Parts: sequence; C-alpha cells; structure tokens
Amino acid sequence: MDMLKISNLHKHFGTKEVLKGVNLTIPEHSIYGFIGKNGAGKTTTMKTILGILKADEGEIIVNGKKAEYGETATNRFIGYLPDVPEFYSFMTPKEYLRFCGEITGMKKADIESNSKRLLDMVGLGSEKHRIKGFSRGMKQRLGIAQALLNSPKLLICDEPTSALDPVGRKEILDILLNVKDQTTVLFSTHILSDVERICTDIAFLKDGVVSTQGKLSDIKTKYRSDEYLFEMAEEADVRRLLERFKNIKQTGNNQLIFNEKEGSVFEVLSFITDNRIPLVKMERVEPTLESLFLEVVES
Amino acid sequence: MKTLMSFIKKEFLEQVRTSKIIILFIIFVILGIMNPAVAKLTPALMKYMSEELAQSGITINEVTITALDSWVQFYKNIPMGLLVFILIESSILTREYQSGTLILSLTKGFERYKVIIAKTVVLCILWTVLYFMCFGITYGYNAYFWDNSVAHNLVFSVMCYYIFGLWIISLMILFSVMSNANTIVLAETGLVVFLLYLLSMIKKVKEVSPTTLMDGTSLVYGLSKAKEYNIPLAVAILTLAACLCGSIPIFNKKQL
Repeated sequence: MDMLKISNLHKHFGTKEVLKGVNLTIPEHSIYGFIGKNGAGKTTTMKTILGILKADEGEIIVNGKKAEYGETATNRFIGYLPDVPEFYSFMTPKEYLRFCGEITGMKKADIESNSKRLLDMVGLGSEKHRIKGFSRGMKQRLGIAQALLNSPKLLICDEPTSALDPVGRKEILDILLNVKDQTTVLFSTHILSDVERICTDIAFLKDGVVSTQGKLSDIKTKYRSDEYLFEMAEEADVRRLLERFKNIKQTGNNQLIFNEKEGSVFEVLSFITDNRIPLVKMERVEPTLESLFLEVVES
Repeated sequence: MKTLMSFIKKEFLEQVRTSKIIILFIIFVILGIMNPAVAKLTPALMKYMSEELAQSGITINEVTITALDSWVQFYKNIPMGLLVFILIESSILTREYQSGTLILSLTKGFERYKVIIAKTVVLCILWTVLYFMCFGITYGYNAYFWDNSVAHNLVFSVMCYYIFGLWIISLMILFSVMSNANTIVLAETGLVVFLLYLLSMIKKVKEVSPTTLMDGTSLVYGLSKAKEYNIPLAVAILTLAACLCGSIPIFNKKQL
C-alpha cells in the first residue's frame, strides 16, 4: 500500500511558482529520500502535506485519506520533525512529550511508556533540565522523539541532519534506520552520503517537479554509465592507449576512462594483453549519488 | 475536551514559569491596596500642603473622606492594571507564530479552533481572577475604614468594567489571528479603544460605545443611571462574541 500519494501539486508564492505539478508516491515501510537543491520546494511540499500551507492545485492522500489545508485530521497519521524544531522552552523533555501525548488524545499509560522508551532511544532519558538550554543536536533528537510519540504511520523529517556535526548526524541517521520497521520515513536532504546510508527509495525535486523517483538501486542501475576505469603503471603506456583508442579519456594521473557506448571494452583488454602492458587497476565505474545528483538536478 | 484541557494546562504552566502571573498578581494587589491607601492619605496630604497653600492665599477646609473617594481611585487606577495586562499578554498567540512552537502541536492533529479557545479561556480566567482580587482588596479596606453603601450601583459598575476587560481580550484575540507581530496587536487594540474614546465626545457615540463602560465613577457617584449603560453593555457583548466567532475561521485559514 502507498502511505503517501501526491498528484499534480502546485504552489506559488507571489509571482514565483515553487511547485509546478509534483507527483510523488511513497510505499509503506520505505525510507524515502527527498532530494533537491536549497529552494527547490522540499519544505513547501512537506508543509502542504501537513496542511500548514495551502496548495493552489493538486491532491494529497495520506494513508488513504485526503489531506486538507487548515484541517489536521490526516496529521494524526503523521509525525513531523521541522528543520529547526521549536519547543516550549519552559518545559523539560518529559513534560513536553506528556503535553504532546495529551493533546493528541493518547492514553496516559501509553504516554508514559512511549516517552520513556523514546527519550532513552534518543539519549535524553536522564535529562532533567528545561529545553531552554538545549543544543541543536539535543533539540533535533527531542524532535524525533516527539514525532514518533504517537507511533505515526508516516514520519516526515525536514533536513534533519543539515545543521548537525558528524556525530549528531550519525545519531539521527541511526535512529531513523531503527524505526524503519514501525513506520514509513520521508526525509528531505541535500546531504547525499546520508541518503546512500539509509534510503531505500529516492526522489529528485528539480524546478518544482519530481524529475526522477523510485528504488535507489533501480535508479543507480538506470544511470549506470558503462564506463571503465583503467589505472596504468607507466605513463608511456597511457600515451599508447590514448593513441590507439580515440574514445578513451585521461582523467587523472595515469588514469583512463573508457566508455563502452563507443566500442567494446574487450578490444581495450586484448590490446593490453597483446602488448603486455602492466595494469595497476581496472574497474567498472559505479554511479555515485553525487554524479546522479549533478546529472538529474543540475542538468 | 481532554485535549483542550491539556493545552490550557500548558498555557498556565507557561504563565507561571515565565513569571508573567507573578508580575500581574503583584501589580493587581498593589493597585487594590493603593485605592483605599490614597483615599486614606488624602487628608494628611491636604493638611501638609495647606500650610504652603495658605501662604499663597488659598485656604483648605477640613476634607472628609468616604468610601466613594476610594472607589473613584479604583476607576482611576484599574485602567493601569488593564494596560499592564494587555502589554504582558498581547503576545499570547504571536509569540507562538514567531517561534514556530504551534506548528508541532498542529501537525500532531490538535485542532486549530482549540488553540483559540484555550488562549481565550486562559486570558479570561486571568482577567477574572486578577480583576476581582483587586476589587476584593479595595472592597475589604473600604468596608473596614468607611462604609461601602454610599456608593451607588457598585456591583453594576464593577461588572461593567469587567465586561470591558473581556471585550479588550476579544479584540486582542481577533487582532492576533489577523497579524503576526504583537506590536501590531497592541497598536490595533490601542487604536480601536483610543478612537472610540475620542468619538465618545459625541453624545450619540457615547450612548453606544463600549468605552463608556470604563466610566465607573459617574455610576458610583450616581451621576449616571445604570440603564444608560445597557446599550454599551449589549454592544460590548455582541462585538465580543463576533470577534471570538470571527477569529476561528480566520485562524483556520491562516498560513503558519
């Protein structure tokens, strides 16, 4: 079943059209990476799902129910972590989670047990101080705890790791990976290594539309470029290969790239064996998310 | 209902932990004590000043103080209390927009109209408690020193000012859902009161304007009749209800 389905979502601010017909489908129990440049419309899309922003056009279905602007009925299925979460600073984390549980109508016993489990999970279990003096990392972790409190079916995180140091980032990613079995995660980011670490599915948002979406592995296969890298021991051999094959390119020190679109790689290999050219390394070039990002988003 | 109660509880916790309630409590107690104290001290002040005044040819006769003088002080001082109340509480909604704290509550499925109800209820409870505490203190001292029965329409005049306070609260809520900054809320509330107060110079306006309810002095002196306040009272209650009912649909469509 699809947890979230967005069709033809349009939104403009003033004269600027931010979303120009976003279509997005998120399957259940996936960790969905929502990738795009700053200002691509990631936050706008998320806020529209939550009914905080009014869409000009389009439909959003959360867990089979239509989301409406200004109404908060579908939000009961959703846990939301904004990019910079703000809490009532006069409360302690425990008090805040109790408040969150109470306003969503959770049972007292569930609030107690869930808060304890979640606060321990995010490492704030023994924190007795008020939220006032919390660091960004602590706030981000408390943000995840509050988002997961009522066991949401869909967890939406807006750039949860962008403002954090490497340790903080790793903690957040580990938590997201941990909750995968219980919930579907949609998180926006522009940090590609985070996506590679935890995402099962991705979507690229570019110029207000989703240009590519699907399983991370499928997309990687699709964009595999059939390129091979050769690293030679001697510079003289590099020149010999460059002279022999017109479609081979030098990329670095003694490194050559050959694209199979322009001939078979076996021709190169037989040339190397025939001439007994010493080879340091040969590998098939796997597309990195970075090259994908550049190809999809920048092109 | 339970979820609404939790939000109200949070509001009170905030009032306590940010010391707002303490400040308001102290100010309203001071005002309550000040009314009879100023009345009580008037003869002594007069006597002190009379020697200086006598030199410039003005003679002052013995002044007799009654509970009326204290009630006049009450109606002179309570606007100060209301002003402090507005200044401290005008940001009750706007600070949540600016910090973004409301987003998390609403994205959890907490209904928007409950936010407005909770904030209104909290302001009304605070105003009720503080106002009647101030009144009670003055009443008690007046009963001890003098006799409260000299004041005409005392209960009615006190209720008039109380309703006026509630009317101001409803304006604050309406302006808070319409704008994002508490300075605008303050300016708009102030402007409405100021304009109505000015226009009340015109008799026709005075007969209907809710600002007429502020004039408790004429009532306790018996200069105005209670029935003259009926129309302003009705106007205040109707606009109060309209402001609150209007706030909810506006807030439902507000982009946060």
